[in-house]
Amino acid sequence: MCVGIYGLIAKRNAIRLLFSVEIIINAAIINFVAFARYHDTPLITGQTFSLFAIALAATEAAVGLAIIVQAFRLNNDIDVLELKKLRG
Amino acid sequence: MDTPLVVLVVLTSVAVTSPLYEMIFGKKSLKYVQYLTILSLLVSLILLISSTLSLTPQESTVPHLLRNDTLGSFFSFIVILVTLFVSITSFDYMKGNPNERVYYSLLLFTAIGMTMLCFAVDLLVIFVAFELMSLPTFILAGYNKQDKLSNEAAVKFFILGALSSGILLYGISIMFGITGSTNLEVISQSLTSLSPDMLPFVIFSTVSMLAGLGLKLSIVPFHMWIPDTYEGSPTTVSTLLSAATKKAGFASAIRIFAVIFPLFYFDLSLALAIIALVTMTLGNLAALTQKSITRMLAYSSIAQAGYLLIGIVVLPYTNLGLIGLLYHSFNHAILQATAFLAAGLVRLKTSSSSLDSYNGLSKVMPITSFCLALSLLGLAGIPPLNGFWSKLILFSAAVDGGYAWLALAGLVNTAISVAYYLLVIKRMYMDETSIKAIKEPLIFISVLVFATAIIIVTGLLPNVLYDIAEDITISFLANNPV
Repeated sequence: MCVGIYGLIAKRNAIRLLFSVEIIINAAIINFVAFARYHDTPLITGQTFSLFAIALAATEAAVGLAIIVQAFRLNNDIDVLELKKLRG
Repeated sequence: MDTPLVVLVVLTSVAVTSPLYEMIFGKKSLKYVQYLTILSLLVSLILLISSTLSLTPQESTVPHLLRNDTLGSFFSFIVILVTLFVSITSFDYMKGNPNERVYYSLLLFTAIGMTMLCFAVDLLVIFVAFELMSLPTFILAGYNKQDKLSNEAAVKFFILGALSSGILLYGISIMFGITGSTNLEVISQSLTSLSPDMLPFVIFSTVSMLAGLGLKLSIVPFHMWIPDTYEGSPTTVSTLLSAATKKAGFASAIRIFAVIFPLFYFDLSLALAIIALVTMTLGNLAALTQKSITRMLAYSSIAQAGYLLIGIVVLPYTNLGLIGLLYHSFNHAILQATAFLAAGLVRLKTSSSSLDSYNGLSKVMPITSFCLALSLLGLAGIPPLNGFWSKLILFSAAVDGGYAWLALAGLVNTAISVAYYLLVIKRMYMDETSIKAIKEPLIFISVLVFATAIIIVTGLLPNVLYDIAEDITISFLANNPV
């Protein structure tokens, strides 16, 4: 979780930002599995939730990469600090 | 009959198949896709209304994933109505764009996600619906692929949106760890018998979920993407983001906070009150200095989120807060949709969204200017229009709930906001123009006129919506005592 947040703050490359978000999601997934084991009665909810979360993280990565690829085609650069045409 | 499921089936069947029609029908398929989209949205509206009228209040004993209640129906009515407006106006706005069929399909997927989010009472479904609502909007924001601004809007929106869903998921995972369940009813039961040393974790989880949802609600620390995305993306998509996804987020926020509030309502309520204050003040002050109408409307949308948040702040203290929240959600959705769509039409015809292109607009586009002017007056809260009544209820709810200073701040903010709304109207009606007369497309105009008619009618007959909102509030609070 902390590594992900650090990555989001410190990095400027859009793909690295995407990775950082994936790290945050993975932290949550590990939480789910760990908590499911930790409870006295075995819970299947945690594992189910983590499967859902993995699938959704994958779709999110697909959409994000598509947008970033298009940004690279238009600007020849994926430095997010260079994206500053919209401001005010 | 289970309303949410039927509506979801209707919308999904069209959304999944519509990109395929090109293979079967060739060039003609675009018309079919458009009509099917409209038809499916209309059918789901009718289904929602008819089944809500015949809905009998029932005690749910089994933990469910979706709960079929009037609160969900009300919010999904709003979001589907806005999606309907957006898809009809997209006939003109998106004309000539390649992949137009996929556009309508994505609109429907967003509508499905929003509808699910309105009904969801399980954190698992809330998360899935949240993603289903967000992912199509990332693509829609960058829909003009060759437009650098549209792409920039999409990149910014995507990075913050992905972060928000990550943080929401983290918050949910902590909540699951504390209570051992993802169902909101079970969570509320196990939270009442919580040992005090777990309280910091609950607070951490609440803050995470607030941050995740807050990005969609456009409340202040999480508002950075709003102006950029609303300006860069196609204006019809900005309409959807501002008028619809935000409302679905509020529906979910009401359900989550109704569960968490009993635990530490004073602190949470105070924190939310401060956020509401900062949100409306910053939104209104930033809107004053904008040069482009979409940016101005974006900041005004942030400010309106601050007003809506008052409804959640006073949730533990008075019924009036939730009534005002529901009422203002409807009004704000219609007003914001009208304003954004009118701005979209002007952008389509003059290919500019700067405020200078609104000089003397009433002479070249009289109907559009009239609709825009009325919706701006409504957003400002001028008495005969619907925005006034709901703001009145929200502010009096703040006074009732012991947050008189919040109501005072709201009034001051309303006064500030009148300034920039009137500035646009002054430009449209007083200034001179050099543009020649512009033909206003018929379908687009009829949507605007219809929405404006709703604004006037609900403004003149405030009782109708107030009574509906009151019924919903009473039945919601009966199931979820706060």
